[in-house]
Amino acid sequence: MAKGLDVNDIIVPKGYTVTSLDDLVSWARGSSMWPVSFGLACCAVEMMHAAASKHDIDRFGWGLYRGSPRQSDVIIVAGTLCNKMAGAFRQTYDSMPQPTWVISMGSCANGGGYYHYSYSVVRGCDRIIPVDVYVPGCPPTAQALVYGIMQLMMKVKYAKQWERDRL
Amino acid sequence: MNIADELRELGQGIVSESLGQVSLQISAEEVLSVAKSLKTNPAIKMNMLLDLCGVDYLYYGVESWQTEGACHQSYCRARAEPLSENSVWTGARFQVVCHLLSITHNQRMRLKVDLDDSVSMPSLSGVWPSSVWYEREAFDLFGIQFKQHPDLRRILTDYGFVGFPMRKDFPLVGRVEMRYDSQSAQCVYDPVSIEYQSHVPRMIRNDHRYVDVGEESGERA
Repeated sequence: MAKGLDVNDIIVPKGYTVTSLDDLVSWARGSSMWPVSFGLACCAVEMMHAAASKHDIDRFGWGLYRGSPRQSDVIIVAGTLCNKMAGAFRQTYDSMPQPTWVISMGSCANGGGYYHYSYSVVRGCDRIIPVDVYVPGCPPTAQALVYGIMQLMMKVKYAKQWERDRL
Repeated sequence: MNIADELRELGQGIVSESLGQVSLQISAEEVLSVAKSLKTNPAIKMNMLLDLCGVDYLYYGVESWQTEGACHQSYCRARAEPLSENSVWTGARFQVVCHLLSITHNQRMRLKVDLDDSVSMPSLSGVWPSSVWYEREAFDLFGIQFKQHPDLRRILTDYGFVGFPMRKDFPLVGRVEMRYDSQSAQCVYDPVSIEYQSHVPRMIRNDHRYVDVGEESGERA
């Protein structure tokens, strides 16, 4: 499948298409990501806005928030990560099936933010788990999160191609 | 008869009134007997304990930072001076403050308990059961020991946390920071890697906007 083309542009005129299995799998994977509900602070409210009817991330196949990490593909770290939460957070991440994807949402998750100098806050969730996309803001607007989600979709869909290009 | 007069009649502690709010200041030894009489005395009848917290008066009245004039940049921070020991506070270092409500009389009052150097007082959980978690919080953050408390564990800070973070001599950035260690596959603590800095902005305009007229002529003209 050619980069940048919608699947309908290819299938509708001919009635069929030829692609590699890698591309098909990453297209299917990126178009149906199930986030684990991991709202830690006020960013979670913006995350809810992104999921609600106006921005509706279900359009991208992202709207199915799961209560269990074992059913999820992506974790959106929405809020301040405290030291006490860090162990549970890592356990949540480790419980997710591979491949796992991570969006760090907001200043606190990106680098401690407002609480950078606190004695009880992890200075960035990337001290605990690897992060794919950082969404800046305090809190980021729902639009900003949707933009971050679209960036991660690109990364997932073209991951194989991206890795090939890099070699 | 208002609540302050009733408290004066009780004859224990120092009663003070400010802004229409009544406070009773007592020592840790007499807290249990006073608390019981506050609850049972029909003229006072403080049925509920709404809040309990600790206060640390170390460095009370000492300015932790001092600016000598305006900042000429658009924005800069005051330098954090090391805290000096010349506090103006002469009372006990630690205090426990309770807020009480009488549903019967629709009255509120404040109960202040001065603690001595043992930093302990009898638990109020026998009088007002709602104090159990508040006392855990005061213990967690200030290290105040509540005797005969049914379950005096930490409540807010991390498992295995060392120190009492709301004490004035506890560093704001703490002593440890957390990261994930892939070798041992667990979150581990390292010594803290950043330095404390003051977040108090220096004054941008050196004008007289916030100075009383009398002060102004003497110092700032």
